[in-house]
Amino acid sequence: MSDILQTLSDAMADAVQQAGRSIVRVEARRRMPASGFVWSADGLIVTAHHVVEHEENIRIGLPDGSQTKAALVGRDPNTDLAVLRAETGGLTVPAWAEADAVRVGHLALAVGRPSGQLQATLGVVSALSHSPNENHFFAQTDVVMYPGFSGGALVSASGQIIGLNTSALMRGASLTVQTPTLRFVVESLLRHGRMRRGYLGVGVQPARLPKALAEQIGQKSGVLVMSVEPDSPAERGGLFMGDTILAVDGQTIENGEDLVSSLGGGRIGQSVPVRILRGGQVQELQITIGERG
Amino acid sequence: MDNNLLQQLNDTLADTVERVQSSLAQIVNGRGAGAGTIWHPDGLIVTNAHVVRGRHGLHVVLPGGQRLPAAVIAYDEPLDLAALSVEAAGLPTIAVGDSRQVRPGQWVMAVGHPWGVIGAVTSGVVIGAGAQLPEVGQMQPGREWIALDLHMRPGHSGGPVVDSAGRLIGINTMITGPDVGFAIPVHVVKAFLKERLGTQKMAV
Repeated sequence: MSDILQTLSDAMADAVQQAGRSIVRVEARRRMPASGFVWSADGLIVTAHHVVEHEENIRIGLPDGSQTKAALVGRDPNTDLAVLRAETGGLTVPAWAEADAVRVGHLALAVGRPSGQLQATLGVVSALSHSPNENHFFAQTDVVMYPGFSGGALVSASGQIIGLNTSALMRGASLTVQTPTLRFVVESLLRHGRMRRGYLGVGVQPARLPKALAEQIGQKSGVLVMSVEPDSPAERGGLFMGDTILAVDGQTIENGEDLVSSLGGGRIGQSVPVRILRGGQVQELQITIGERG
Repeated sequence: MDNNLLQQLNDTLADTVERVQSSLAQIVNGRGAGAGTIWHPDGLIVTNAHVVRGRHGLHVVLPGGQRLPAAVIAYDEPLDLAALSVEAAGLPTIAVGDSRQVRPGQWVMAVGHPWGVIGAVTSGVVIGAGAQLPEVGQMQPGREWIALDLHMRPGHSGGPVVDSAGRLIGINTMITGPDVGFAIPVHVVKAFLKERLGTQKMAV
């Protein structure tokens, strides 16, 4: 029975060591180096956007102690992610923990390699924020983000990587970008060098719907169009100031966040149905979604 | 509920704490106080140099509450280590572990008297060990530390950091923030005692 603590201790150190085979040091800023981890064996590395301050002269410290140069592939400030390509191959790809394998209360370790050697802190998963429609999978933890831990991994009890840790997105708590969001952003960065965001060209505010209408269409609010930019997709599609947007491509719009999430990269260039309320009548327009430059 | 893993873990933790507390001393130095670890049954106690600095009316309070005057028999300011001697015999000593085998992520516990709370415990994991730690690497180049992810406070100084078997792996020495502490590895303590005291009073 007295072995249980020893077993726990060994399991934690083993998890760190296992994940550590894929965790690297990232030197891309003047202050102290940060961390990153292997995305693919042929040299793709993911790290935090905010630790990549200079795009020239990026150096990677590999788990075997050797050093290599890397180039920036792309970055996304919204999720604080950056993808680098190291001039090397034969890297160890980590085992990934899927989003639904992580539960509030689970033990998790933050693992980094800012000094060249592995370092770890322990905590629990405090909260999860999952919104599959928006490819939004984040975990909040109480792990201590030791200096240089940004860009490193949150590691599960079995040594799988839960996601990428960043101290930049939220004050006073450690946030982890989980694997589905990582995958989504990394794939977009590999294809386009950036995250593509859709563009409509309107200024909006949420607006409560008349009670009868709300009951009829099953939603309490929409967004009122306050302004329409000249020559924007909205103007070309026939949207006017004073219209209330109710849905985009079948996705209900009740507030500004709903509208932003409906304008993900996937709808760029597509003509989609936009349901609006105009003069008390529900109408449908066809609008071709643009791309935010 | 004895097959409940968390309950078993809690029992083991409490047993480990009791064992470590049995060899934990208080160092009373004028108004200040720190912690010390009983290294040898004949009254050899290890602590930080900064805990005994000044040495006015230096006393040790043993785990049983006995208060004895103490003499400083070895002192190293840069290393921040000191060895004290009290007139006693048959004291419970701490088991000494191997600080060269420390792994990031392994469980650790620090015991001391934070803010004067006697024998208080904090536990966490090893962040990393060695001479290349970001916050202390530049202070004394080449010097080895164990960085700890736990909540040390004033009064932990000089007390033990133990591994999952309750073995001493370091001496709590300083903090660089509310959540990060640094300990002197026990192999450095051993070398200090060997150099200053020879084999006299060494634990075997």
